[in-house]
Amino acid sequence: MTVSVLIVDDSPIARKMLRKALPADWDISIQEAGDGVQAIDIYRQGGVELMFLDLTMPNIDGYGVLEVLQAEGLNCIVIVVSADVQPQARERVLAMGAIAFIPKPVNPEGLQEVLKQYGILV
Amino acid sequence: MSLRLNEDQTAALQELANIGMGQAGNSIARIWKEFVHLSIPKINMVESTRIPELIHGYVGDTEVSASRQAFHGGFRGEVLVIVTSNDRNGLAHLMGYEGSLDIAEREEVLLDIVNILGGACVGGIAQQVGAEIGFSAPSLIGEHLNPLEVIKPNQLAIETALSLEVRFIVENRSLSAHLVILLPNNEVKALADLLDQFLCTL
Repeated sequence: MTVSVLIVDDSPIARKMLRKALPADWDISIQEAGDGVQAIDIYRQGGVELMFLDLTMPNIDGYGVLEVLQAEGLNCIVIVVSADVQPQARERVLAMGAIAFIPKPVNPEGLQEVLKQYGILV
Repeated sequence: MSLRLNEDQTAALQELANIGMGQAGNSIARIWKEFVHLSIPKINMVESTRIPELIHGYVGDTEVSASRQAFHGGFRGEVLVIVTSNDRNGLAHLMGYEGSLDIAEREEVLLDIVNILGGACVGGIAQQVGAEIGFSAPSLIGEHLNPLEVIKPNQLAIETALSLEVRFIVENRSLSAHLVILLPNNEVKALADLLDQFLCTL
């Protein structure tokens, strides 16, 4: 079954880097958002199953997106993908409902491991 | 006439710098033992004659301290780190220096900062585009400087400055550091070629 994925990052290059790191044979449909406001808009339209979320973004940042998602019931799986690799950033997003934290630049093998670990990729 | 990166090259450089600065933020957070809020890096390319007004635009009418470090290898240039004078005192205490600092200790703090930020940013960019890069020993430009006098463009043998603005913010203190990367024209071309090769892999 096709998995609906939303990639949220203000950098078009980071979005491309993440797309490239995703398993090539994975049955997914991908939408993209360039900031937190767009991400929340797309999330509220429904159907997003998996969100890859950057933290440092204009308008609403990744923490702000997680706050909104939590307040609205968190109806999708969130994996944070960030260059901010401080342990506190990881702890904070996991406490806010993200299931995993992946440091940039994304390692494709590490990403696949996380997806398998949580049963997202079989 | 200065060379400029195109839109794609600039976007790539901004993301690669973002990754490098994330590493720098983590290094600084470990030293400070505090959570560091990172700003989104902003990149601009300006002609070297505009560097003084660029630095003034970053910090406003305040005294600054500045240090510099040359790098060479896959692409060659120099990185400047500018911090405001008050911020530099805050940084010194966060970096473990107690009490009033003597000149040598203040210089050490500024050299530590250019080492961490310049190494993470330029080194991080180089690593991700597959370029080998080495650094010379950092040196102090000065303290309590007028931002318009940090760099005298007529003393530079370069045409283009690649400015990278990034702020590190620690809880109640607002500490800011700004990086400016100076590149000769032919090195802008070398960097552009490396960025194109990186973009081709996406």
